[in-house]
Amino acid sequence: METIIYISLAFLLSFCIMAVMSRSILKSAIYLAAASAALGVVMFLLGAKWASVFEVSVCSGLVTVIFISAISLSNMKIEDVHKLYDDKKRMAYLPYVLLFGGFTMITFVLTKDINLTVVAQSTMEDFQNIFWNTRMADILGQITAILIGGIAVIVLLKEGAK
Amino acid sequence: MTIETIMLIVGFLMILTGCYCLIRSYHMLKIIIGIEISMKAGTMFLIFAGYMNGHMGLAQAYVITAIVLEVVVAVVLAGVTIGLYHKYGNMDIRNLTQLKG
Repeated sequence: METIIYISLAFLLSFCIMAVMSRSILKSAIYLAAASAALGVVMFLLGAKWASVFEVSVCSGLVTVIFISAISLSNMKIEDVHKLYDDKKRMAYLPYVLLFGGFTMITFVLTKDINLTVVAQSTMEDFQNIFWNTRMADILGQITAILIGGIAVIVLLKEGAK
Repeated sequence: MTIETIMLIVGFLMILTGCYCLIRSYHMLKIIIGIEISMKAGTMFLIFAGYMNGHMGLAQAYVITAIVLEVVVAVVLAGVTIGLYHKYGNMDIRNLTQLKG
């Protein structure tokens, strides 16, 4: 199981880097969807089955559809896009930043002797019970956030149509 | 190095990637992608915390809330992007500085 988690983490980080460094915004959206799928695999293997289902269906599916819908409205020529945003030049330093950050983090972990261990085995908590009873306020907050998001999109698109 | 430590490093690098994208990109959709990447690292840390403490049910409840908020943020920012495109003909974030009132 650990091998699959290692591979998924490698894919997750690679897809995130590719999403940022890609010059095509459509490819970036697809790489982001692939990163969500890799994160879903990691969550599933750690025992968070419900969260992994939400991650794959919502983040990998719905968010990608939203991105592609927004991209499809743009009809700029690809040369003009590259000239305007200049992403190739602006994103070129990301590998160096990540190498520096990774090296710093590994040095910090090794020198401070940080040894993360699982302090308690995962209990057989009833997720439905926690979600519906203990975290009831969260559900109300989610419903409110979704309503606000829907209203905001209607208002923004109405203003954009003028 | 344990798998927990590696997850910590990967999450840190993901936040770094997202923040770099936020700082360096002028494309509005690319900026949303940067925010999404940073939020993904946050959800991974929540699951990681639940795995370490043995409270996976509670962690999943938090993660589902975070995912809903992630989608709402993406939808609202996509709406702002479309409005920006209709007004200026491109999705350049620098155009937002021209807004008055």
